[in-house]
Amino acid sequence: MDNNDSLLWQVRHFVYNHFADTTLPPNVEETAAHFNISTEEAGEYYKELNNRHAFFLEPETLTVRMAWPFSAIPTDFKVHANGKTYYANCAWDMLGVPALLKCNAVMDARFTESNESIQLEVKDGKVTNSELLIHFPVAFSHWYDDLVFT
Amino acid sequence: MLLFRSEEWIDKWCQRNNLERGEVLTLQQVWEIAKPWYDNRLSLEFRGRSPEQVREIFKQAGLTSKFWYI
Repeated sequence: MDNNDSLLWQVRHFVYNHFADTTLPPNVEETAAHFNISTEEAGEYYKELNNRHAFFLEPETLTVRMAWPFSAIPTDFKVHANGKTYYANCAWDMLGVPALLKCNAVMDARFTESNESIQLEVKDGKVTNSELLIHFPVAFSHWYDDLVFT
Repeated sequence: MLLFRSEEWIDKWCQRNNLERGEVLTLQQVWEIAKPWYDNRLSLEFRGRSPEQVREIFKQAGLTSKFWYI
């Protein structure tokens, strides 16, 4: 990777918007083709963006796992918005999808421990079942210590 | 961050996993935080949140305890 900070942030922008448009992140080959750069160079941008916490790669790979609020793998937080179905990384990110896309959303979620399913909705800027609880197990300063657990 | 039906289920989960209880917010509180947190994230200009911006988002939501320190 040459020292091109502008392209670095364009790659971040491409990954996030690809996620929003298709519900999945682009693989490194798709990103390389989009910017007409080598796969190796695109991979270096991916690693740098991972280091800067712009998104999160599966360890030891160039596969995007999280570009917040989106998850590339199925979770207990499914979000239907703009005619698409996304997976969110956690309960916070479940609300992050309509916040990011600025739209209404229906969310199929599962309660932890009681293991019941529930359907929630964000409509016209308001969330249903607003009294339900989200537990934050880790203090903010340690969120990035173990992102999957967080 | 996991979704729970009630405080009772949070305590059960913490006990079963031998974890200390963290902080608990309502869905409404998290929705209010999520809006500024994710605002502008699809923009080409987005570079992440500065510590000051994060502190301000938490402060606006009333989250000022040590748990939310950066």
